[in-house]
Amino acid sequence: MSETTMQSPVGVGPLASPDGGVVLADAYTTTKVQVRAGASTAAAAFLGGSYGSSIRNADGDLVCGTRPDEWTIYGAPGRAEAIAASVPTEGFVTVIDISHGRAMLRIGGVNATAALSKICNLDLSDELTPNGAVFSGSLGAVGCDWVRDDQDGQTSFLISCERSFGKFLFIAVADACTEFGISVPHGWELHGH
Amino acid sequence: MSNRLPTQPGEVIDRSESLSFTWNGKQMAGFKGDTIASAVAANGVDVFGRSMKYHRKRGIMTADHWDPNLFVQVGDEPNVRAGSRKLQAGMEVSTQNVWPSLNFDLAAANQFMGRFLSSGFYYKTFMRPQFLWPLYQKVLRKFAPGGQIHWKTSIHGAYDKRYVHPDVLVAGGGPAGMGAALAAADAGASVLLVEHYTELGGHLRWGDEGQRAMSAALVAACEAHTNIEVLVDSTVTGRYDHNWIAVNQRSHEIAPERLIKARAGVMVVAAGLIERPYVFAGNDTPGVLLAGGARRLINLFGVKPGKKAVVLTANEEGDAAVADLERAGVEIVAVLDARKGESIVAVEGKGRVSKVRMSDGRTVSADTVVTATGWTAPTSLLNMAGDRPVYDASAARYFSSGELPSNILVTGGLAGDGSTAELEAHGRATGELAANRSLRRRHDRVRQTARAGAPTWSKPAEIEDRRTPLARKPHPECYRSTTHGMVDFSEDVSSKDLVQASKEGFDSIELMKRYTTVTMGPAQGKLETVNAAAVLAEANGVAMADIGTTVWRPPYSPISLGALAGRILEPVRRSALQDWHEAHGASPLLAGQWVRPDHYGDAIAEATNVRTNVGLIDVTPLGKLDLRGTDVPKLLELVYVNKWQKLEIGRVRYGAMVAEDGVVSDDGVTGRLSESRWLMTTTSSGAGAVWEMLEDWLQTYRPEWDVHVTAVTGGLTSINVAGPNSRTLLERLAQGVDLSSDSFPYFSVRQGTVADVPDCIIWRIGFTGELSYEVHVPSGHALHVWESLLETGADLGCAPFGVEAQRILRLEKGHYIVGQDTDGLSKAPTAGLGGLVKLDKSDTLGLPELKHAYERADLPVLVGIQTVDGSIVPEEAAQIVEGDSNTILGRITSSRMSPTLGRSICLGQVDPSLSAAGSDITVLLADGRRIKAVVQEHHAHVDHEGARQRV
Repeated sequence: MSETTMQSPVGVGPLASPDGGVVLADAYTTTKVQVRAGASTAAAAFLGGSYGSSIRNADGDLVCGTRPDEWTIYGAPGRAEAIAASVPTEGFVTVIDISHGRAMLRIGGVNATAALSKICNLDLSDELTPNGAVFSGSLGAVGCDWVRDDQDGQTSFLISCERSFGKFLFIAVADACTEFGISVPHGWELHGH
Repeated sequence: MSNRLPTQPGEVIDRSESLSFTWNGKQMAGFKGDTIASAVAANGVDVFGRSMKYHRKRGIMTADHWDPNLFVQVGDEPNVRAGSRKLQAGMEVSTQNVWPSLNFDLAAANQFMGRFLSSGFYYKTFMRPQFLWPLYQKVLRKFAPGGQIHWKTSIHGAYDKRYVHPDVLVAGGGPAGMGAALAAADAGASVLLVEHYTELGGHLRWGDEGQRAMSAALVAACEAHTNIEVLVDSTVTGRYDHNWIAVNQRSHEIAPERLIKARAGVMVVAAGLIERPYVFAGNDTPGVLLAGGARRLINLFGVKPGKKAVVLTANEEGDAAVADLERAGVEIVAVLDARKGESIVAVEGKGRVSKVRMSDGRTVSADTVVTATGWTAPTSLLNMAGDRPVYDASAARYFSSGELPSNILVTGGLAGDGSTAELEAHGRATGELAANRSLRRRHDRVRQTARAGAPTWSKPAEIEDRRTPLARKPHPECYRSTTHGMVDFSEDVSSKDLVQASKEGFDSIELMKRYTTVTMGPAQGKLETVNAAAVLAEANGVAMADIGTTVWRPPYSPISLGALAGRILEPVRRSALQDWHEAHGASPLLAGQWVRPDHYGDAIAEATNVRTNVGLIDVTPLGKLDLRGTDVPKLLELVYVNKWQKLEIGRVRYGAMVAEDGVVSDDGVTGRLSESRWLMTTTSSGAGAVWEMLEDWLQTYRPEWDVHVTAVTGGLTSINVAGPNSRTLLERLAQGVDLSSDSFPYFSVRQGTVADVPDCIIWRIGFTGELSYEVHVPSGHALHVWESLLETGADLGCAPFGVEAQRILRLEKGHYIVGQDTDGLSKAPTAGLGGLVKLDKSDTLGLPELKHAYERADLPVLVGIQTVDGSIVPEEAAQIVEGDSNTILGRITSSRMSPTLGRSICLGQVDPSLSAAGSDITVLLADGRRIKAVVQEHHAHVDHEGARQRV
C-alpha cells in the first residue's frame, strides 16, 4: 500500500468561496513526522528553528518547532521514510511517522483568519501569528497543531488534529466559512452530521 | 399614517420605501428605517401593551431600546424590543401579555386588587397551605408576562460566535466614544467601536443641525478609518477578568444574534446617559413620554407624539423638547420648569392622558406629558470592573468612584457634562491614553508569545493621565412628586411599594431590590435604579449618597440564550471504519466522544458467531501510547501495580493502574516491540488521562528518564479478529508473521504486513475469551484491511460484531471493565488483582494505600453471580440486599443474557462476607422484586480455564 493512497477521514473538498476569499482543503496525505530530541542533540541542530516557528528546509519540507524539544516535519505525501532517515539519531531521539494519526486541513485566503476566528479564541493577527508561526490551540473545541504557512503571499494555515476528530473539525471549519461564501455539501453541515 | 409628520431634517426613515406589516392582525405600513414602535405610533396607535402585574395600558415612553412598554411578539419571536428593532416588510407584530385582547384584557382586574398585590405578596400569599402550591403554580403561570415561544416551529437560524482581540474596545458610539475611537486608531491601535443602536452618533442623532453635522463628520471618519471596526446594533453586555468583554451583535446577516468574545487591551466606556422618568401619579399612562422619547419620535422618525402637551423640564433636553414639539405642531399647554420648583402632581386618563394636575394647583387638558428630569448614568460596565459609583447631589446622578483598573477608562456623559466639542475632546484624550496603554500591553504580548517573534517596533513610553476632567453641570434632584407613581415600569413596582417595603424592614437597597423586584426587569435598572434609591432614601430619611446602590452585573442588557449558546461545537471522534459501519447498518453508540457500532442488527447472533466462527470488531477507541526509550520499564514499574523489568521483546503483559489512593484507575495490556519501543494500551475513556499522567511524571518528577510518549490512538486502527477461525483467517492475509501457537503464543505481539499493509502490529490477546488477534493497522489503510478480512473470511463465517456483542462475550469470560465493574472507591483488592499487585516493589503509584488495602478485610469483592432463575437479568446497578431488609450488601455491576449458556450472567461487588463461592444472595430489582442468586467460583462464566483462547 502506498502512502499516497491513504484514506482520509475527510473525503470531501476542496471547498472555496466564489470570490476565492477562503479556500478549505483536506491535507491528510501530507507526510507528518514527529521528532523529539533534547536541545543538545545533533537532531536539534540539524532541524534548526525554535519552538513556535517554522522553516522550510532544502528538501522543501516544513520543519515546525511544535513544542519544546519537539518538532513536526511536514512534507509531500510518501516522504516519511526519507524524512525520518535524514534526522540524526545520536543520543536520545525519537522519530515517529504520525501521518496516519493526524488529520490535516489547509485553509487560506483573505478571509481565512476571520473564518477561523469564529471558532478559535487565539489572536491570529499578523503580528501575533506571523507567517511561519507554529502553535497549538483549540479550533472548534478540538485540540490542534497549527502552522501559518502562507501561499503565494496569501494567508494560509495548515492545521492538524488527532485523526478521529478530523471529520468533525473539517465540518466545523467549513461551517465557519459559510459566512464568507463557502457552500457546504449536503451531509457535511455542522448540525446535520 | 395619522401621526406622520412632514419630512424632518434629521430623520432616518426612507420615505421612498414603504414597508407593510400587521399590528394585532391589522394591516399597516411604515418606512424603511422605522422602528416597529415608530411605525405603529405613526399609524395612530397609543396603547402598545399591558403592564406585567396590573395589566395597565401602556404606551411609548422612551421610544428606544430601554422602553419598558414596548415588548411585542414578532412572528414566533417573543419579547422583541419595538423601540429599537427595525421594521421589516411582512412583520406580524402583536401585543403580548394580554387576554383576550389589548383593549379588553381580563387580567386588568388586577388593578382593583392592587392593595392585595403589593410587593412580596407572592411570599405572603402562596406560602400556605403548602399542598396547594402546585395549583398556585398553574395559576401564576397564566399570569407570567412575556410572549409565546413556538420552539417546535422556530424559523430562527443558528446563532453565532466570534473572537476578537482589539487593542481598544470603545463601548458607545456617541461624540466621546467616536472621538476616543479615532484618537486611539490614529495612534496605531486597533479599535472595536461598539454602538448599542443601529447608527453611530448617540444623542447627536436627534440633536440640532450643528450636532447632526458634527455627528456625520465623526461617523464618516470612524467608518473610513482602517484601524476601526464599527459594530452597530450591538451591545457590550459584560466585562470580565482581564478585559474579557462580551459583545452581543444583533441583526447580523448570518445569524439573529452573534456573541462576540473580545479580549481587549483597554476598554473605553462611553455609554452616555439614559434619561430617567419622573415619579408621579399616573406616570405610566399612555401619552407620558420622556423628553428624549418625544425628540426621537419627531426628529428620527417624523412621528408626532401628541396634540396638546405639558412639558416638565429640568434641563436642556427638556428645553429642546419644547422646541421640537412646537415645530412638530404640538400645542404646548404648559411648560413647568423644575429648576424653579415647578412640578407635575398627577395625570388622569384611561387609554391616554386627558388631564394634568400641576404643582401650582391648575389642572389642564392635554393628551401628552413630556418630562425631562435627569439621567441615569449606566455605570454597569464600571461596576463589572469593580467600581462602586458615588452619588453627586449637585449633579443629581452617579459618577465613577475612580477606583478602576488601568485597562478601563471612562469618557462622555459618564464622566461629566460638556458641549459636544468638549465631549469629543475628552473622548479623544481618553482614546490617546487608551492607545498608549494598550500598545504597551501589545508590545509585551508580542515579546512574550513564542510564535510571534520579537516585536519590530519600540514600546511606547508610558504617558500619564492628564485629561482635563469634564465639568459636572448642576441639576435639580427631581425624582418624585408629591404623589406616588410607578418606579419600575417593567415590574409594576410603585414608589408606594418601595415605601411599604422599607417599613417592613427591607430598608437596605439590596434587600429592597430583591423583595420588590424593582430594577430586576428587562430594563435592568437603566430607568429605575436612581428613582428607587431616591424613594428609599426618602422613606428611610437619609441622604441619597448614604443609601448606596445595587450592583450591576452582566448582562448590561438581556441577551438571548441562543446567543450565549452560539454554534454547538461538540466534537465527535470517528474511527477510520465508522463510515463503513454506518453504511452497513450499524446502530451508533456514543461512548464518550467516540461514536461506535453498537450492533449491526442482532447482537446475540453476532456474539454467537464469534463463539462458532470468527468476528471482527473495531476497537480503535482503545487508548494507544507509543513509549520509547531505555527507561520505559522504570515508567511502567511506576505506574502499573505489577512488574515490567523482565518482559521480553515480543511479549505482552496485562497491567492495572491505581491512583494514589489505591483506587483502580485504568488498565490495559502493554507489549514490548523492541529493546526500547513499547506499545501501551489503555481503556478508551482513560486514554487522555493516562497520557497526561505519564507526561506529568516525565516532565515534572522524572525528567532525567529517557522516555518519549506519543499518543497513537487514532493513528492505529484496531481490529479485533476473534473466534475459533481467527487464526485461519489471519494466516491468509498476514505476511512475515508465523501465527502458529508455538511461534506466536498467547499474550505475544508481532509486527508484520497484513493484506499488503506494512507496519501492522498484531497482538495475540483476548477480551472475548476466544482465540483472537488484535491487528493495529495504520489508519489510512484500515478500511482496506477490514474489507480484506471480511472478504477473505467469508467462507469462514467472518462477520462484524459490535460493542454490545463484545460486552456479552467479555462478561461470559468474566473480564471486568474499569469504571463499569469498579467505581471511584474500588481499590485493587476489590477488583481481584491479588496476584497481580506486587507489594514488594520499591515504588509504584499508590503503593502505601495498596499495602494498607491488602491488610483490610472489609473491602467489597468483585464476584461472578448467577441468578437462580436464569431467565431473569437483573439491571446493572441493582442492589444486593440482606434478605427482606433494605440493608445493602453490594450491587450488580454488569449483567447480560448469555447466548452461550442460555441464562443470565452477572458480575457484582459484594460484601466480603458473601464473596465465597456458593454464597446465596438477594438481588433487589428495580420493580421491587427480590430474587435469589448465587456467587460463582470464578468471574468467568464460560471457559474459566482459558482453553478456548490458548489454542
